Amino acid sequence: MSANAARSIDEYLKQLRSALADEDPALIQDALYDAEEYLRAEVASHPNRSEADVLELIASTYGAPEEVAAAYRDTEVKVKAALKTPAPPATAAPASGRLRRFFGVFMDTRAYTSLFYMLLTLATGIIYFTFVVTGLALSAGLAVLVIGIPFFLAFIGMARVLALAEGRLIEGTTGERMPRRPVHPGPPAGWLNRIGDMLKDVRTWTTLLYLLLMLPLGVLYFTIAVTGLTIGLRFALAPVVVLAGDFGWIPPEISSHVLEIDGASYGSPQSFIAALFCMVFGVVILALLLHAARGIARGHARLAKSLLVEPGA
Amino acid sequence: MDDSQARKFQKDLNAGLVALVLLAVLERSTEDLYGYEIAKRLQRANEGEALFKEGTIYPVLRALAAAGLLTSRVVPSYAGPARRYYRITDEGRAMLGQWSQIWRQTRGFVDRFIEGTDS
Repeated sequence: MSANAARSIDEYLKQLRSALADEDPALIQDALYDAEEYLRAEVASHPNRSEADVLELIASTYGAPEEVAAAYRDTEVKVKAALKTPAPPATAAPASGRLRRFFGVFMDTRAYTSLFYMLLTLATGIIYFTFVVTGLALSAGLAVLVIGIPFFLAFIGMARVLALAEGRLIEGTTGERMPRRPVHPGPPAGWLNRIGDMLKDVRTWTTLLYLLLMLPLGVLYFTIAVTGLTIGLRFALAPVVVLAGDFGWIPPEISSHVLEIDGASYGSPQSFIAALFCMVFGVVILALLLHAARGIARGHARLAKSLLVEPGA
Repeated sequence: MDDSQARKFQKDLNAGLVALVLLAVLERSTEDLYGYEIAKRLQRANEGEALFKEGTIYPVLRALAAAGLLTSRVVPSYAGPARRYYRITDEGRAMLGQWSQIWRQTRGFVDRFIEGTDS
């Protein structure tokens, strides 16, 4: 039990936050959200008592910050263990270990979901970028009118919802723990106070920055994914193409080139043996792509966390 | 006598029981409940010293929902953050039946030794 019991909701939340200091910022956000729901409901259900009076009893009902923190820590460990995809079995032969690890990426579902995420980022990037640029421009333009204030609030609120949805998407595709509850805007306050708080909150700005960054990053990720996929698949399927050509299944108007860049082209292998070599090459390219996807997604998840969750958490 | 031992024992016992109790509460309820309401129902049911702190039910609720035993929906609230209302799923009901069975067996087994009816 802490020596100085919290006298207000904000104080309690601060103590809970420091009790969870070493935990994942996403977990902290969820825990604070739950505590706030309970505490505000508890205070609201005792209208004739002061916040300090209600808070006095909290340690014996809701639990002291340390106890609550311990409960979240325990449950998180259990849930994480239950949801974790089992690690691939350790390779028995050390000689082939490196090769197996390199091609083992084909068995890793995370690599495929990461690749899927990379393909999706072009679409989400365009949506986020358009949303932020339109929202900021209209907020600035409407600022002189009364409607500018609710518009700005709604814009930031939407940005937070997008940040939460993006977090869920990232957790689903890369496994990085992201918040499951949004940031709570705090107790009801006047519009001007709300706007002031939003403008002062670093996370508001880092969230907008992230949403803007998603366009260039999305273009980059999408390009890498599509280029890797097309080249890798074309090489890997070269024997099929050769066979199909032999059987006359490929219409003559379709180019038989493996690669065609600005007029320079590399012809398709004509013999089946050459095509088999191409296939090995293609499989290596695909493996490299999946490794790259896994790495990029992991790096991107870290970036997302540092911009969407950590500031102010 | 130091009661930290007693508290640790209670905590170990609660590890699985909280989930069972939460499923039972939601199964008996005719309407969807949110965290605070569930906490208050538990508080009313146990007089005197609480068996577990209400703050510990939230992470368990979330874990149950993640396992598909509960569904939830979010309803905005004036008093604070939007509330998440939970409802038990068919899968949750099946699990509750199974867990209740295990609980009855366990209770009977433990009682046979503690109450000494077996000797």
